[in-house]
Amino acid sequence: MAITRRELITGIAKAGVPAAVAVTAGSQTLQAETIPVPSAAVGLLYDATICIGCKACVSACAEANDTLPDTRVDQLHQAPTDLNDLTRNVIKLYKAEDGSAFSFVKRQCMQCLDPACAAGCPFQALHKDPESGIVTWTADKCIGCRYCTITCPYHIPRFQWQGYNPRVTKCELCSSRLEKGLKPGCTSVCPTGAVIFGPRPVLLLEAKKRIQANPGRYYQNRVYGETDNGGTQALYLSHVPFEKLGLPELGPESVPAKTLRWQRRLYQYFALPALLYAGLVQVIRKNLTGHEHDALEREKETGLRAQL
Amino acid sequence: MSSAATNVTRDSNRWERAVPVYGFPVVNGFFISLSVLVLIALVLTAYRELAGLGPVSGMNDAYGWGIWKTFNVMVMTALGSGAFAVGIAAWVFRRKRLHALMRMALLTSFLAYACGLLLLGIDAGRPWNFYWIVFPWKWNMHSPLAEVAICMSIYAMIPLAVENIPPVLERLWYFDSRLRPGVEKIEKRLHYFYPYIIAAAYLLPGMHQSSLGALMLLAGERVHPLWQTPWLPLLYLGAATFMSFGCVAGTTMLCCLVWKRGMDMEVLDEAAQITAWLIYGWLGLRFLDIMFRGALGTAFHFDRFAGVFWIEVLSISVGAWLLQQSLKTHDKRAMFLGYVLSSAGGMIYRFSPTTLAFRPNPEALYFPATIEILVSLGFISLGVVGFLLAVKRFAILPAPLHEWHDMASYFRFRRPYIRWTGYFKFGYFGEDEPKPTSGD
Repeated sequence: MAITRRELITGIAKAGVPAAVAVTAGSQTLQAETIPVPSAAVGLLYDATICIGCKACVSACAEANDTLPDTRVDQLHQAPTDLNDLTRNVIKLYKAEDGSAFSFVKRQCMQCLDPACAAGCPFQALHKDPESGIVTWTADKCIGCRYCTITCPYHIPRFQWQGYNPRVTKCELCSSRLEKGLKPGCTSVCPTGAVIFGPRPVLLLEAKKRIQANPGRYYQNRVYGETDNGGTQALYLSHVPFEKLGLPELGPESVPAKTLRWQRRLYQYFALPALLYAGLVQVIRKNLTGHEHDALEREKETGLRAQL
Repeated sequence: MSSAATNVTRDSNRWERAVPVYGFPVVNGFFISLSVLVLIALVLTAYRELAGLGPVSGMNDAYGWGIWKTFNVMVMTALGSGAFAVGIAAWVFRRKRLHALMRMALLTSFLAYACGLLLLGIDAGRPWNFYWIVFPWKWNMHSPLAEVAICMSIYAMIPLAVENIPPVLERLWYFDSRLRPGVEKIEKRLHYFYPYIIAAAYLLPGMHQSSLGALMLLAGERVHPLWQTPWLPLLYLGAATFMSFGCVAGTTMLCCLVWKRGMDMEVLDEAAQITAWLIYGWLGLRFLDIMFRGALGTAFHFDRFAGVFWIEVLSISVGAWLLQQSLKTHDKRAMFLGYVLSSAGGMIYRFSPTTLAFRPNPEALYFPATIEILVSLGFISLGVVGFLLAVKRFAILPAPLHEWHDMASYFRFRRPYIRWTGYFKFGYFGEDEPKPTSGD
């Protein structure tokens, strides 16, 4: 009737161990954790050392995306203080406390090679295009859970807090303009060329050329986004530490690869859960028979109908 | 049959049978005030659907998740994991005494999950897109949130709902003898599928309770190092197990106290022992993890995170200590307090990574708005209202055997004008009704 503990353990071991080994060993080859760079990855290169903070890109962005200007701060100027439901692109200013250094920074979606927002999005509303690598938001798939606002290490996607039909706002590299052969709004108006648009490898070369031409000018002589967070398609050059510009040091491994490794392995092909389920069914089937037997005996004793 | 009724030893407190709470009206002051809260919440929900989340809540760009998700879902479903934790102890590890608590566990779980899921739907900004849930190829299989949303709704709608059917069928069985063949047929069919349903009822919560922890993994360093760990899924699952034991056993004790039922200390002792061991294991894992990650130093900083951490840890360990003490002294008060403290500590733990210990940026602030709190309270009240209705109309709460016979005589002699109660029609209890004499 009731199985012994030994039987339980050996039963689980007999079925479970080979399968578990197969899944874990197999998943290393199946779930390649190297991030493929999209074939035609496009991106932005922003150089903080030549940005003059004119904010032409901010208004050009709103115009290109057909968004109302965000005049909520002073009811007059388009002067968003941060990214928000009307602002996909913003210029912010960093000033060191002792006044020794300052820098503008342009914040928009980094178009990560392995985006955390898309990794967390339950129904693939945020999706990375396999060719251009642009991360786009699809209204028809979004349930408005705001998990993207929690997961994005750069805190880019913003949720619309007003209204019955809220949307998620993030830079999509003006993908509708790209289709028409135009450049993204921000890069088409930048007067100093602080932000330029192009294929990611070309931008990376250009950035390295600038570093070589001006050794010591750039922080750590390094392009932010080359490997950071698994690599991003928006690349940054700066003379102040990247962390001061809101670009955290995340290491070369992308956030989803770093944190969801075990989650991804355990649910690989649903093999382990299925195995566990089969084991549970066996154990419960045996215990249920014993329990029913006991209940029927009590029924005879008390004369009251058994309650299972 | 009646001999069984007279042979019962009245001083035995052994829980033998689930008996509805009788002799107490369903509608009383408490019930009415809860219903008012539910109504307020429903009206405010309508307002929220029209106005959006901003005007009704304190959520902002930095704190994208408010108490609807972080308290009503993350914390309340942990309390409502009784069907998972108590069920595994009873069905898989064959702690047979715990079967007495199973109906309470199943009911509290169902209500906690149902109310949490309702609020999850209200919290979602674009809930009409939930229909994607029926197309598995549209799921993002590796998203913890997809796992939670899909797994939780399947769990609440299928295994939990089905496991709660037997008390309803039982009431139908007693209600009218003509229904009995049909009810017995359904029960037989149900028993055939039971192993598959029960196994799913343990697998699914195991998956989504751990995935609730995995949700905050992606938030990285924005969660304070005392909480952010690769072991977050396991710790979340562990917290759910001891919190749900506390919820089930504690609620049962409270009900016994309020409705004057005998308490079976054998069952409660076993539950308390298991809870204490679960807590020791959990605390051990928690401290080992913090030490090996080298985050123990941050626990001695003088800031709110360290404060929350120590309140949580102390309340859980004092709770475990009280539970352990109550096993020796058989002090019900200490046991109840132990359950309350350990569950409260667990609630703080489950609430922390998303809210108390979540630091998106230094200047960000979140405090729930009044409407947000009212809606949250309203949906908890909805669960309590459902619970009160269920225990007073169905055989949920465990009781000594004599309680069943007391119920019969109560309705037969004290309330003869009540024609039927569902369980006792015209004074009969359980036995077959006499055949009507033909011709008369």
